[in-house]
Amino acid sequence: METLSKRSVALAVAAFALPLTADEGHEFFESKIRPLLATHCHACHTGGALGNLRLDSREGVLKGGKSGVVVVPGKPEESLLIEAVRRTHVRLKMPPVGALSKDEVAALEEWVKLGVPWPEKTAQVHVANRVITAQERAFWSYQPVTKPAPPTVDDAAWAKTNIDRFILAKLETAKLKPAAPADQRAWARRVALDLTGLPPTPAEVDAYVSDASPAAKQKMIDRLLESPHYGERWARHWLDLARYSDGQLAADVDTPFRNAWRYRDWVVEAFNKDLPYNLFVKAQIAADQFQDTAAHQAGLGFQALGAGANDQVDVTTKVFLGLTVGCAQCHDHKYDPIPTKDYYSLLGIFRSSQSAEHPLVPEAEVKRYNAQKAKIDALKEILKDYLADQTKQLVDLLARDTARYMVAVWKNKDEEPGLDTETLKKWKIYLAARGDKEHPYLKSWYELLDKQPTEEQVQAEAARYQQFVLELLEEAKEVEDKNYVAFGGKKGQKNENTRQYTNIVSLPVLKFYQWREIANGPYNIDGFRAPAGVLFYDAKAVRSHLGGLAKQYAERLDTEILALEKELPPMYPFVHAVKDAEKPADIPIAVRGDTKVPGEIAPRRFLQILREGEPEPYLKGSGRAQLAQEIADPRNPLTARVMVNRIWQHHFGRGLVRTPSNFGRMGERPTHPELLDYLAARFVESGWSVKAIHREILLSSAYAQSTSNPGAAEADADNKLLSRFDLQHRLDMETLRDSVLAVSGKLDSKLGGEAKPMSDENARRSLYLTVSRTRLDTTMSLFDFPDANSSVDARPTTAGPLQGLYWLNSKFVAQQARALDERLTKEAGAEAKARIDHAYRLLYARPPDSEELKIGIEYVTAGAKAWPTYLQALLGSGEFSSVN
Amino acid sequence: MFDRRQFLQTLGGGFGVAGLQGTLQAATRQPHFAPKAKHVIFLFLNGGMSQVDTFDPKPMLVKHDGEPMPGPKIRTDRASGTLMRSPWDFRKHGQSGIEVSDIFPHVARRIDDFAVVRSMYTENGNHGPSLQVMNCGHQLPGRPSMGSWVTYGLGTDNQNLPGFIVLCPGFPVLGSSLWSAGYMPSSYQGVHIHTGAVEPEKLIENLRNADLSLDEQKVQLGLMDKLNQRYLARVGDQPNLQSAVESMESAFRMQTEAGQLIDIRKEPEKIRARYDVSDFGRGCLMALRLVESGVRMVQIYYGNFQPWDSHDDIRVHAKLAQKVDSPIAALVEDLKLRGLFDETLIIIGSEFGRTPMIQNSGLEKLGCGRDHNPPAFTVLLAGGGIKGGQTYGATDDFGYQVVENKVHVHDLHATALHLLGFDHTKLTYRHAGRDFRLTDVHGKVVTPLLA
Repeated sequence: METLSKRSVALAVAAFALPLTADEGHEFFESKIRPLLATHCHACHTGGALGNLRLDSREGVLKGGKSGVVVVPGKPEESLLIEAVRRTHVRLKMPPVGALSKDEVAALEEWVKLGVPWPEKTAQVHVANRVITAQERAFWSYQPVTKPAPPTVDDAAWAKTNIDRFILAKLETAKLKPAAPADQRAWARRVALDLTGLPPTPAEVDAYVSDASPAAKQKMIDRLLESPHYGERWARHWLDLARYSDGQLAADVDTPFRNAWRYRDWVVEAFNKDLPYNLFVKAQIAADQFQDTAAHQAGLGFQALGAGANDQVDVTTKVFLGLTVGCAQCHDHKYDPIPTKDYYSLLGIFRSSQSAEHPLVPEAEVKRYNAQKAKIDALKEILKDYLADQTKQLVDLLARDTARYMVAVWKNKDEEPGLDTETLKKWKIYLAARGDKEHPYLKSWYELLDKQPTEEQVQAEAARYQQFVLELLEEAKEVEDKNYVAFGGKKGQKNENTRQYTNIVSLPVLKFYQWREIANGPYNIDGFRAPAGVLFYDAKAVRSHLGGLAKQYAERLDTEILALEKELPPMYPFVHAVKDAEKPADIPIAVRGDTKVPGEIAPRRFLQILREGEPEPYLKGSGRAQLAQEIADPRNPLTARVMVNRIWQHHFGRGLVRTPSNFGRMGERPTHPELLDYLAARFVESGWSVKAIHREILLSSAYAQSTSNPGAAEADADNKLLSRFDLQHRLDMETLRDSVLAVSGKLDSKLGGEAKPMSDENARRSLYLTVSRTRLDTTMSLFDFPDANSSVDARPTTAGPLQGLYWLNSKFVAQQARALDERLTKEAGAEAKARIDHAYRLLYARPPDSEELKIGIEYVTAGAKAWPTYLQALLGSGEFSSVN
Repeated sequence: MFDRRQFLQTLGGGFGVAGLQGTLQAATRQPHFAPKAKHVIFLFLNGGMSQVDTFDPKPMLVKHDGEPMPGPKIRTDRASGTLMRSPWDFRKHGQSGIEVSDIFPHVARRIDDFAVVRSMYTENGNHGPSLQVMNCGHQLPGRPSMGSWVTYGLGTDNQNLPGFIVLCPGFPVLGSSLWSAGYMPSSYQGVHIHTGAVEPEKLIENLRNADLSLDEQKVQLGLMDKLNQRYLARVGDQPNLQSAVESMESAFRMQTEAGQLIDIRKEPEKIRARYDVSDFGRGCLMALRLVESGVRMVQIYYGNFQPWDSHDDIRVHAKLAQKVDSPIAALVEDLKLRGLFDETLIIIGSEFGRTPMIQNSGLEKLGCGRDHNPPAFTVLLAGGGIKGGQTYGATDDFGYQVVENKVHVHDLHATALHLLGFDHTKLTYRHAGRDFRLTDVHGKVVTPLLA
């Protein structure tokens, strides 16, 4: 940078002394200005022309934009551009993402002073082949991971681990001291909730507190990491990222992913078994492509439980690489070196793959099941068609007695020999509802009835109407026949493609209404309902009108179906996976995201920024295998960094990079870059062991700090130096609910299996609650369970009166308080002091102090309902919901 | 911040509003300029209201009824047939003489209060994406809804009620993703209430305690407060924890207040009668009371799934209109009577319109309906900051697409935010390292609509 300013000064002097040659001006432009414009301005001021301004040609620069002329050649002081980059303009402060360095501003001033030298005269065509500059490549997160040596520190006693040395060094530079260590019990509760999502039992806490050995922490951590509940807890963090759901967003209710839970359980197991993270990554991108992931097909749920290829590009890059590649769908990424072409390179990979059910049983079993199922379905279809036919015949049959039914209704009869009693009743109801008729066909009937008619007159009118109905049924049949022909037969109806452009005929509107009232089934189209017609008997009801052979036939089919169904085993298990399409292919760029405007073909290959030079094309199958390999490659600068950061995030509440799924320019910079690299290097060294990183972090003094550090409160208000452990003011939804169940003794701690909806009776861990994309459970969302329609890297934590109502009034909390009451009776007896003591240990992992005891005893001796309401208050308290 | 002592005083001596005001100050963000509207009532006729049968009269459709539409064949979602006139006539109403279809007699009576935007358009012909666009400004799910943006921007005037309430008997297509807070905290998310019922305890979950009286609860709350204060003292200055703890206190107040506020049975029979024609109508009355109580935005979906999706029989529109017509007029009238009309923005619309052509259906269906029509639809606006008694924009002779003063959904959002005091380009939320907007990179305020 110093050289730049020297050079600028030199040039400035030169400018005054003697005019620069054109070549020198251009050299200055190429060396200083073009890279600067490319890095800081072109994201917005090229094709997109924000503010109507283009800064990719001299022409554009001189033309100016919405705010007028931006550059007066030779006069930086009069140039808006200079005012904007100096940030002295009232409104325009450019670039919006952060000020240029002094040297850069000086270079621009110089450039304007020189008269805006620019080698080419006209704008470059904005090509999709955006060149990634050296400066872009120099961004921190794309640099290879190194393993920095831990710095030396003054307070060597505090710094128990390498992690501590990195943290303490920064604190010491800032002349701050770390927070005092947390109370032992607080630490025990913290680490248990952190690793398993469940509060520690009083016995566990006591064991830890009474263990004076230096390995006490290590022992507790190991025990928790060995618990299967560890996987349940940490899988859930992953599932937020994987936008896990038990069904796909759909119009009405989720289209179920019947075996989504097998992916969820696979993630749990991967964490419990400490599946090396590189394998974990590979399995979720291309388990079907490698020998060492063949047993991990369930991991492909990561891809399959989504919403298609675009979603797969977005989620895969965000989650594994911390890159927002999804932003490059319509244009080159505005901030990061991700050309839109890269987006389509990746999209081509996923487009060349397709969803697939991967059965977990031998193929023969699958075939057997499907064959049996097909038999049943075929018979059901036959029965259905048969009964539908009977329904139609019954309409025709009954219609021939229309006049007799009408006369019987007129005579107010409930029964009549030769007439079907049920049908008579329906006619009665139908004819009584005079106001409902939207057609004129019964008008003369009603008018006649108004005139005190004779029976003959009534019979004549009824006969007229009957004739009309018979003709109407005939006409309806003709219409239907025409449509059948148009569709190319009955089955054609189901062919949506034929249907799209086939002209269909129908009855005239008013006749249709009348026909619907007589012969149609229940009408429920577009949300409008009309009851079934008078003569319509559905598949179930029509059976009572069947006799003789017809009845026998239907019953025989019933029996056959039933027998076959009895033999049908439960559907074979499968996992939602993906496989390569038959013909993998590169796809063209969709210009401005518009698929109707195809641009150049984007070869399937890796992101350019993560490769030196041109990435080689993926030629094997869809390319998922190569993609997985490149992501899981230890040389990939992002994969390990992103994951260790996520691990850190869930231990400390925030990552070292506080935008865990964005390691790009708009993401935050790491608070401790060397520590991040150290951890990433350790991660790879350990064989990508997540548990190894847990151990390293949890044994640190940094993790064991208390939540308050008055000495650093001001200087490190945002805790970027980690001068304390951030108090987590509310447990996430799952941990909260699971903790309630755990302390009440009601928790069903069975592992794995199908999801069941949230209910007061469902006592399983919250991990196993059904996650819907269309109907997210209200209690889950009340406590910030995320919308599973997109990948979520950090949940917000909200508070509000509706949460308060939950603690005060929900049946669930009251029921759990009563269960806790019973548990206390069982475990601590009847004496108030012992009960309160036990409750505190269960809920808060500590005994009550004397004042708390006093408050408790006062309260519980006051009334009959006192115990449950006391315990409910303990559950609803801030201490229970937070992690200190 | 809410003053705890004040609260404890109110605990002892009844429930004044003194404490509440403290809270709402904290919750409200600064608008960019003086808002014209403070509340939004968004009446969503889900499924797609036909413009040519309601507020966009097309005499040429009558003239050319049964003829093919001139020009190249249009590929609609499903096969479209010939042009079909509206079964209903249009008449001029009010001072403005705006033409309204006969199926909206009550709205017609109040038409001078409305700006009829006949030039709305959107891109996608499927319900899901278009519902997402209309509600969240983007075709894909996962973004915050308009209601979330509005409550994020303006906070809430009543801490005892959610800021954004969604009323629907059942669920519209795509359900909760339409009122999701997306990447924002879930406190900005719409609280969905099933409007089959009218009892407050059925409308808000956990509003009543089954076992304890309010007095007993007061004692319990006192205990909780004592314990919490000790905990807070121990952990030091923790503002987030403080507010979490305080939410218990506002919850307690909500039990009594919210019940009163949302209970439409408290309204006199005379008022109720005009709304009592449908769940939608009762929702309108509830919206009136909610807005009166300081709720920021109320959205009412007409019904479960998509009732206005009249593919098969456009005449069903008459039955649907009958269930919304009187309540809409009543809502406008009552908002005026209560002095809320000028500070409440009313939006009435759908995810898209319907084709001027008949839709071929067939077999056991009627085939007398209209298909989806994203290139043109009509939205009605009224209330705070809207210049009523005008039509804006125009469609072609048949109502198929917009030919004058096009208004995209993004423009509608920009205009709504403008009325609420926000420059839509500046109301941003930072997520994943990027500033997001309701209008993404689009949208312009439609100034002729402004009063």
